[in-house]
Amino acid sequence: MGKYVIRRIGQMVIVLFGATLILFACLFVLPGDPVGSLGGDKARDPAVVQELRERYGLDKPLVEQYGNYVTNLVKGDLGEDYTQRRQVTEVLGPKLQNTAKLALAAIVLDVVIGMLAGLIAALFRYSFWDVLVTLLTTLAIGFPSFVIGSIFQSQFAVKLGWFPLISDGSFNSLIMPAVTLAIIDAALVARLMRGTMLEVLRADYVKTAVAKGLPRRTVLFKHVLRNSVIPVVTYIGISFGGLLGGALITEAIFNWDGIGFALVTAIQQQNNPIIVGVVTYGVAVFVVLNLLVDLLYAMLDPRIRLS
Amino acid sequence: MTELAKSQGPGAATAEPAAATGTAEPAPARITQWGEIRHRFMANRLAVVGLVLVLLLFLTAALAPLIATHDPYAQDLGNTLASPSGDHWFGTDALGRDQFSRVIYGSRIAVVVGLASIFLACLIGLVLGALAGYFGKTVDTVIMRIADIFFAFPLLIGAIVIILVMGRGVMPVILSLAIFSWATVSRLLRSSILSVREMDYVTAAKALGASTSRIIIRHIMPNSIAAVMSFIAFSVGTAIVAEASLSYLGVGVSPEVPEWGNMISSARDFMGVKDFLWMYPSVAIVLTVLGFVFVGDGLRDALDPKLR
Amino acid sequence: MRGVKSAKWVVGAIVVAMAATACGGNNNDSGGKGGATFRLGITEPVAIDPVNSQESEGGLVTHNLFTGLYRVNTDGTLKPMLATSGTANDKGDEWTFEIKKDTKFSNGEPVNAEAFIRGWTRAVAKSSASDVAYHMNEIDGFKDLNSGKSDKFSGLSAAGEYTLKVKLSKPDFEFNKRTAHSVFSPVPKVAGAGDNKSFNDAPIGNGPFKMEGSWQHNQKITLVRNDDYGLDKAKIDKVEISILNPSSSVTLEYKGFESGQFDWARMPTPQMPVAKAKYEPQKEWLKYDSSGINYVQAFNTESPMNSADARKAISYAIDREQIAKGVFQGLYEPATALLPPTFKDVYKPDVCSSCMKQDKDKAKQYAEKAGLKPGDTLDFGYNTGAGHEEWVQAVAKQIEDVLGLKVKLNGLPFKEALAKQQEKGAKGIWRSAWSADYPTADNFLSPLLSTDGINPDANGKALGDNRGRYSNPKFDEMLVKARETKDAGERAKIYNEAEKLAVDEDQALIPLWKRSQYRLANTKKFDGLEINFQEEPNLAEISPK
Repeated sequence: MGKYVIRRIGQMVIVLFGATLILFACLFVLPGDPVGSLGGDKARDPAVVQELRERYGLDKPLVEQYGNYVTNLVKGDLGEDYTQRRQVTEVLGPKLQNTAKLALAAIVLDVVIGMLAGLIAALFRYSFWDVLVTLLTTLAIGFPSFVIGSIFQSQFAVKLGWFPLISDGSFNSLIMPAVTLAIIDAALVARLMRGTMLEVLRADYVKTAVAKGLPRRTVLFKHVLRNSVIPVVTYIGISFGGLLGGALITEAIFNWDGIGFALVTAIQQQNNPIIVGVVTYGVAVFVVLNLLVDLLYAMLDPRIRLS
Repeated sequence: MTELAKSQGPGAATAEPAAATGTAEPAPARITQWGEIRHRFMANRLAVVGLVLVLLLFLTAALAPLIATHDPYAQDLGNTLASPSGDHWFGTDALGRDQFSRVIYGSRIAVVVGLASIFLACLIGLVLGALAGYFGKTVDTVIMRIADIFFAFPLLIGAIVIILVMGRGVMPVILSLAIFSWATVSRLLRSSILSVREMDYVTAAKALGASTSRIIIRHIMPNSIAAVMSFIAFSVGTAIVAEASLSYLGVGVSPEVPEWGNMISSARDFMGVKDFLWMYPSVAIVLTVLGFVFVGDGLRDALDPKLR
Repeated sequence: MRGVKSAKWVVGAIVVAMAATACGGNNNDSGGKGGATFRLGITEPVAIDPVNSQESEGGLVTHNLFTGLYRVNTDGTLKPMLATSGTANDKGDEWTFEIKKDTKFSNGEPVNAEAFIRGWTRAVAKSSASDVAYHMNEIDGFKDLNSGKSDKFSGLSAAGEYTLKVKLSKPDFEFNKRTAHSVFSPVPKVAGAGDNKSFNDAPIGNGPFKMEGSWQHNQKITLVRNDDYGLDKAKIDKVEISILNPSSSVTLEYKGFESGQFDWARMPTPQMPVAKAKYEPQKEWLKYDSSGINYVQAFNTESPMNSADARKAISYAIDREQIAKGVFQGLYEPATALLPPTFKDVYKPDVCSSCMKQDKDKAKQYAEKAGLKPGDTLDFGYNTGAGHEEWVQAVAKQIEDVLGLKVKLNGLPFKEALAKQQEKGAKGIWRSAWSADYPTADNFLSPLLSTDGINPDANGKALGDNRGRYSNPKFDEMLVKARETKDAGERAKIYNEAEKLAVDEDQALIPLWKRSQYRLANTKKFDGLEINFQEEPNLAEISPK
């Protein structure tokens, strides 16, 4: 187990550095001077450009710039952004919280709605509810989030006025983006839950338990649920990392002030330190969660050997 | 969009089953594996609906100039934001262009980007997979780590970075989607082929003394191909959503190009005022994605009917 | 649905509670009479410290925290603030400003000639890397200070406690107008160097308002009246500035105004006709043709736009009126000159003959003369994500329809767009716009059209603002002559001739629309509200009803 963890952490570090190196290389070959302008229609004074290039080491070769980034990253320093010249960690801090709020809300919805729907569908197989869940989950997967977002905005924000059209960070404005972000994952969780439940229900040990005359409730909670939850937990763990991708577009639709939205804006402004910062966070969260999920999985299911 | 890709990730590893609403009849005895799969697929109503939707999409894309009522680029600044009417079935946009014709032409981008990017992704995945298999240990490890790196980028973020470097346009969109989906694609191709190889009936056929070529042609091939097709159907759906999302974010194809994501994006300013602007392209994209999802589901269920 | 309603109720309760405390505060602050809080939304500024305050959002804060020598009236004329007099010598290369005596910064430090020298020196110093320092580039010693060779601004001196002397490296009889820019603000000793973070976030100034607490990034900035202000004191107590999400700011401002949260707002273009119909009769709709221009920049040195005829062909092919009506819903007006109407003393309409109205025949004639053939490609670039997508497509289509050219639209994020325009060999046309920093014709003509404005580096990249690379020695001479002319009327004449030469005869660039600004303003609660020269509400002058 210890060896396995060490090896996995090693792989994790490789992935993190590989991903940021790729990003660095891409940003490096981008046309346009990252400190050449600030937006608007005026070019920056060449003297200022020169000063900033020196200050941020932009005149150095790619390898050296990347080296500086890594050295600072180890110290927890992501550098200064190019417009306001503030610490990237300070700029992204509140945005990271906002994204976490959105992602957590989405996960809660995934778990509650997804697992409940899957459970009902599996327990009452082929009933009206089963068909309904199946139909809805299939439909949900076919709706891109910007279509769902458009429907929500026009119906619930503009027509009915239940929610603000544009997020202001309040709980009320969290609802539409959270539901949008959660819908597809909730559908997938429901499908997964239904599938594993059916499989477990057919398993020999469940049949044995029932044959032994154990009460239905005991069988359900002690055997079926516990074993069905494993793959669902795995999936949710992995999807949390993937939520950053979904958050990118959800935040853009609803103007939610998170890191996904910050990324889109930073890309427009070519504010490289912010782009690198967001991707660093995103990739780090993704690999760490993957590792945790694998470990958790191994602990929940002793049949899996870690080698 | 990463949602569908994600669904595939753990889905394939943990055998994610789905219920289909069609009825499954037991296959008649003594029929080839091919026939059996086709029979089960055609018996699934949703799958057939999906197939019809996908065929309709291809047909629309191919015959766009015949179906469209107007030039999708022609502007009429005297008739902007007009509601749907006899002349403009889906209304006109902020530049007075015919929305119906733009929705119809939009199918071309969807088809081209969806198919080309997944084809490329499979190609990269297969080539690297073959290299890994041929050279073995070290190369295999290196390739797997590279795949990990690409896998760790959320699809949209990776694609945006590539497009920034290459500029906007159809080719950059295709390439960027391929570059950031091959890792997912190759993982899943690998696992679906492996899982078929290990199945009981193959072992059984071997034990019964069937020849290797017979096993491959009659048993492994149909199942593998159907599994791959199912997966490809999902992936094409994912790619189409991702492509539209990129355009929606303003980094996909050029804004004057008739494309669904573009149309929905430019309708944002008129939200609640001119809702027809986003509704028609939305319906088009939903039907398209559902078509591919139904086909993918149908194929998977046809392979593995015991979990319905 | 129940959950939804209760969530809304909770939020509503908070709003009510906040409104209640705000009212209480008002009563205490103003001692009962008048007093009010002005509320508006902006996007996160780059800086509010005058050292680097640059766009209108930062400007709004800086202009209210600091008072300099002059400010600009809406008609482009100067209004003396701390300057009791400002005179140039006969050559125009030395200026003497007398400063109003006995005014103070809000921390009690005196505002004297030293305070101005301190502020200007701080802005130009190398370590500040200020984006606005270049406005001082005609003052003696700018280069040495800016490059770090010196830490003194040699052109500035104090001839007595309240007399500021400025030595210029070349004559400029309009230098006093430049000083209306906020970078020319005085600062107290506590300001320290330009990169002093604590001062950057909570500047101490000498303006009509002062900071309450420091800048809460991405959330808010609060200003309160400066009761020790040396000039006419503000009549409102407080300004609450909410910082909004950039991409939705305009919509949020509009919604905020409709719901009574804001007293000032911009509107999304599609909603403007509705807003106008509703608010104009209530006198809450303000319009101001501000000091800016939207135009198309043509690359003068590369084919196909390397002849005046080619550029005229494009200009004649555009139907400005139709796009103004069709795309801008009648809220923009075609421009027929480069200089804006707010520059009262130099503005002349109808300078550009090809801008007057679309003329397909003339367009075709000029195209033929220029050798532009149907099927030729014309590159048309623009920056994305700034709302230009729509009208750019409309212009492209008109050029295609009239001239048969193939217009290749190329949308790029701003920095890449800029790099493309700066590149050696850039060709075709680009969407562009320009806004005045101060009300001088020179601020348009010199950066956009003079040979110096190209500022090429060793690789032929155009680093200046004249990215179209128009260069005409006759035009350059006229600008020098104008700057050296003391008489304002004479000077205006020379500028008019220069504008005519570059924009009409040579058609160096193609004017499109005037910069019209619209705002919703809570005139029910405040008297005297208007959009000022910097497109901001005139907070220091308004009074509560």
